[in-house]
Amino acid sequence: MSHSISRTSTAKDQRVAPMKTPSSSLFGRWLGPERMQATGVKVAIIILFIWGWATIDNFASSSNLHAIMYSVAAIGIAAVGMAFITLSGNLFMLSMAATAALSTIIFASFLYLGLVPALLIVALVGLIIGLVQGVVVGLGGVNPIIATIAVASIVMGAGALYSGGLTIVGKGDASWLGVGQLGVFPNQLLLFLVLAIAAEFVVQRTRFGRELRLIGLNRTTATLAGIRVGRTLVLSFVIAGLAAAIAGSLFASQAAQGNLKLAAGLDFDAIAAVLVGGVSIRGGHGKIIDAAFGALFLAIVSNILLVKGLSFEIQLMVKGIVVIVAVILGALAVGLRKS
Amino acid sequence: MTTFTASARLRLVGGTGGALRLGLLIVAVVLFSLLVDNFGTPRNAYALFQSFALLGLVTLGLALTMLVGEFDLSVGSMVAVGGLITLKVGGADHLLLGMLAAAAFAIVVGLFNALVFSWLRLSSLVITVGSMIALGGFAYWLADGRVINTDNFDAGSLLDDSMLGIFSLRSLLTIAAFVAAFGLLKYTRLGRNILATGSRAAAAKASGVSTTAVYVVVFVLSALCASLAGSLLSISLATASATMGNNLLLQAASAAIIGGIALSGGIGGVGGVLVGVLILTALNNGLGLLGASAASMLFANGLVLLVVVLLDGRVGQWLKKLRRPAPLKSF
Repeated sequence: MSHSISRTSTAKDQRVAPMKTPSSSLFGRWLGPERMQATGVKVAIIILFIWGWATIDNFASSSNLHAIMYSVAAIGIAAVGMAFITLSGNLFMLSMAATAALSTIIFASFLYLGLVPALLIVALVGLIIGLVQGVVVGLGGVNPIIATIAVASIVMGAGALYSGGLTIVGKGDASWLGVGQLGVFPNQLLLFLVLAIAAEFVVQRTRFGRELRLIGLNRTTATLAGIRVGRTLVLSFVIAGLAAAIAGSLFASQAAQGNLKLAAGLDFDAIAAVLVGGVSIRGGHGKIIDAAFGALFLAIVSNILLVKGLSFEIQLMVKGIVVIVAVILGALAVGLRKS
Repeated sequence: MTTFTASARLRLVGGTGGALRLGLLIVAVVLFSLLVDNFGTPRNAYALFQSFALLGLVTLGLALTMLVGEFDLSVGSMVAVGGLITLKVGGADHLLLGMLAAAAFAIVVGLFNALVFSWLRLSSLVITVGSMIALGGFAYWLADGRVINTDNFDAGSLLDDSMLGIFSLRSLLTIAAFVAAFGLLKYTRLGRNILATGSRAAAAKASGVSTTAVYVVVFVLSALCASLAGSLLSISLATASATMGNNLLLQAASAAIIGGIALSGGIGGVGGVLVGVLILTALNNGLGLLGASAASMLFANGLVLLVVVLLDGRVGQWLKKLRRPAPLKSF
């Protein structure tokens, strides 16, 4: 990429393209300050996996590996959606759990139409919720955290009004998505992989993706350069809303039920995956696929804690500590880059 | 932004929309009194001030962080943790000790928020979203899936017995906190430093303000206010649970923004916050009397917050421009 830019660049291009091209050396691509954390997480996944295999009974059993695959799918999809928001410099979307919760209810309510129509309706709802936030944040210039908290409560309120706070049992068959497998891999996991790779491609290789990263790096510059800021931000929120809706469908499909409590904690899990994976909170730096690896790392950590018999609260605290350490290390790595 | 006049920002109702805000409160109260049968009774005024006591304290702390241009997302979880610590440490006989323990813990959390913020120079939203989640987990761990009770009902009635007709010790404490914050901002050097930091942190630092000290003070005060609100609520209800502060962050943010505190910092005053909290309390109280369910209140509160942040941002500027065709040249 760096070659093609330098060959065709005019003076104007250079002024408006502050995006740092990654060092072309192998060392810089994997271990430079920008990529250090993302590489570290991948190494940590391998080490944790080997360590678990060698020392923990039942860790490598097929049922436990399946448990990891199921737990990473929905959270991974949400994390991929969240990464769009973080990359665009808008920190986090705190309405993902609420959107996913509402989606479980809508999915269960419309399952009688069949799996695909139910998924389409859920996706439409997620799209609309994302669109509203994209317009408010991207065009209205509202602080993304506050706006998404407000939307989260509107969505939760609407969900509670619609369901009456009850569990909705779907009248239909969602087993393809819920428990179906292709060979040894759950369909949920394959869906996550396809979406993550597609999202990575979109962000790295399309105009929308380049604009998104440029806005995240420096919104003022991007605006001055004539980048379509509003439109790109709206689209990123739409994608995140869609991701939350799909994550909710995965939760709902496992038991063909919808309940507002099903997606509790999804915001935190997605944020944790994004931060641990090595996507910069300041925006612009990092890859979508990093968030997916972050989700995998956290799923393995949670699974090890679970297999070792630690309580849910302890798991929550360990995850919190992992996130805090990741944020501090990430901020220090940024300092390294500047010096 | 550059014309910094403390007095203009600290008028009793605060900010430029002060009269409008006060008018909105009066309209809300009059409208609800006419529409809802029991709204205008002294009994309901007492109930209104009881909810004001809780929301007011939390909003006051949050507003202080917003005044320096930052935001403390952890206030809601802090209310739950504060209440739980008070009853767990205090048991039946040592509730005051429990309150002190909760306050001490709040100081630690506030220090953590402020120091990590000053050290890493990340957005305070990122750091406090971490503390919000960590405190939420801590609250669940403290409660251990149960509701914590105390057998001491005397302390609760001491706090809640009506005084002067419509007040209670709890609501008077909250009003006292507002008065103290007003004094802090208006008459002390620290208060001026807070507003200066919020207006332009770099300029404040260049003129000798220790912005780190300012951040420490506001984040500690914010955590303390939330923890005190949680302590008082748990003593008054004689129970504490991990979900106690669930919708408070939302309401507090709405109340502060309605009260004229700008998210960008440096603008707003304590009087405006007082009016903002009263507007939101009156709205929720009136809706409750009209028979609105918890779900529709959640919906309404979210909608209110969304509208006020939109007006606080670009949409508000756009509307202002429509009202005043000649744009201000000096900003």
